Amino acid sequence: MNALLDLLAVAFVIAATALIGIYGLRVSRTTSDFFVASRTVRPVWNASAISGEYLSAGTFLGLSGLVLLSGSEGFWFPIGYAAGYLLVLLFIAAPLRRSGAYTIPDFMEARLESRSARRVTSAVCLLIGWLYIVPQLHGAGITLQVVAGIPPWVGAVLVAVVVAAAAAAGGMRAITYVQAFQYWLKLTALLVPAVLIVFVVGGGAHEIDPAVVFPVDAGPSALDAYAAGSLLIALLLGTMGLPHVLVRFYTSPTGGSARRTTVLVIVMVSVFYAVSSVIGLLARVVAPDLAEPGVADTVALVLPTRVFPGLAGELLTALVVAGAFAAFLATSAGLTVSLAGVISQDVFSGSVRSFRVSALICAAVPLAIALLTVPAGLVASVGLVFVFAASSLSPVLLLGVWWRRLTARGAVAGMASGALSCGLALLVYAAVGGVGAAAPLLAQPAAWTIPLATAVTVVVSLSDRSGPPVRTGAFLARLHAPERA
Amino acid sequence: MSGEGRPARPARVRVTAGPSRTGAPTRGIALPGSPVDDVDAVYARGLQRSQLRLAIGTVLGFVIVTVVLLGVITLIPELDEIAVLGVPVSWLLHAFGFYPVIAGFAVLYVRGAARNERRYRALRDIG
Repeated sequence: MNALLDLLAVAFVIAATALIGIYGLRVSRTTSDFFVASRTVRPVWNASAISGEYLSAGTFLGLSGLVLLSGSEGFWFPIGYAAGYLLVLLFIAAPLRRSGAYTIPDFMEARLESRSARRVTSAVCLLIGWLYIVPQLHGAGITLQVVAGIPPWVGAVLVAVVVAAAAAAGGMRAITYVQAFQYWLKLTALLVPAVLIVFVVGGGAHEIDPAVVFPVDAGPSALDAYAAGSLLIALLLGTMGLPHVLVRFYTSPTGGSARRTTVLVIVMVSVFYAVSSVIGLLARVVAPDLAEPGVADTVALVLPTRVFPGLAGELLTALVVAGAFAAFLATSAGLTVSLAGVISQDVFSGSVRSFRVSALICAAVPLAIALLTVPAGLVASVGLVFVFAASSLSPVLLLGVWWRRLTARGAVAGMASGALSCGLALLVYAAVGGVGAAAPLLAQPAAWTIPLATAVTVVVSLSDRSGPPVRTGAFLARLHAPERA
Repeated sequence: MSGEGRPARPARVRVTAGPSRTGAPTRGIALPGSPVDDVDAVYARGLQRSQLRLAIGTVLGFVIVTVVLLGVITLIPELDEIAVLGVPVSWLLHAFGFYPVIAGFAVLYVRGAARNERRYRALRDIG
């Protein structure tokens, strides 16, 4: 590998991010520009930006690593991420756009008319967002370590600084164009190497014995029904609980256009996942020796030089490195902007100046966590965030959009019980590794924590003597009725 | 009427309503924004119900097709043996087969949801 070329690629991505951010700064002037891009972003650009923000280190590097490491069960993750957007489309895309709020806590406060429900929602959002930025920073660390031998903390600090600066400078308006650009960069960065390597491998350079490379016991028929089912439920419902996903719908002009944008997003992320899966299959053919925990996540970076010795392989690696950095930057930037929106409105006055201060805080906290922890498998860490979001935020959000009787007390109880039960299960599993029959329930808790949180929300709401706010009927009518032309 | 025989005046008692058991004291009065069963509200509730039916129907359809596809992949051992470009068909179906299903249901839902809204608009504009 050529460290100079790879570092140039990283510098190029950061420079492009900064330039597009500066362009965004020139066109973003008001508070509303900063938060939601003034709701004038075209569907194709908006869909590119949503996809760019959604495709993180977890799927750019982690997916191929997991397919190499444990076989076809790795494919469940991207399938769940894409299907998660289907649920976003079905249940919340148009209603949330019509709610007129800027952030999820804004929505909860408007729906439930309660400051305390808002504060609990904000706390849960912050926790989810910070946990999601950590694997992005870890990914940046291991990438620089593999391609240039630089210590891992440098990559993490680099991404955090760039993201904080870009978010504080341009807000959402700048971030939208940056992320639209980064989607196409990420797709190109995997598509070009994938196509070239498929030609070489398909041309017979590598002898493939399907029974050895793709053994049946690592294939789809070796299915663990509970683990796969619980994981899928978490990924499907977790998507709508991610703070940076929802805030994007506020940038569509109407509920109908929010829906059409979401369909485009589903197609765009599916195309990317299909390409990423090709890299995973190729990794099993070309680099079976990398199938070790901790090393497997770097296989997408190593693959091009394995197949193309010399300058061609080095150039392809630099392209993959550029795409990987686009992935770390896009997801952490999107999260930082939406979390900064939450903090600046809840803790400060909601002005542009407080948004900038909040952006710095929102990049510093996950950086501290990332520097204090050791990277685990990237896909698994991202998956845990989805499990947590699906258990804490998603049930209450769904009931808030569709169920009249939801009350503030019910929402707070539901979010608290979901977050606590899921957090405890994951912590106990991490500490003792599960005990006998309880092990799968602790490792993949979504199948029981989501019903638990939903049941608690419903029971507490129904037994709440003060009842739902009087304006609930009118509010729900506004969420579901199309805009008057 | 002598002074001693006069009965003592009963103490004054302040009469108030007991604590309200039904919650808001203004129930039934048309507060701004309170639920009113006018035609618009009935149409809006109907729209919400039909959108929810459509969404749940789409989820069920998606789950059924997914389970069937999964059954085909896992229960037919021949798919493990046939290889295209060196990759068993079962792996290829697992890697790439689910995305068209997801996108297909997304398109179907968006059409249905737009149709529901057109019906609602027609009703609202007549009424």
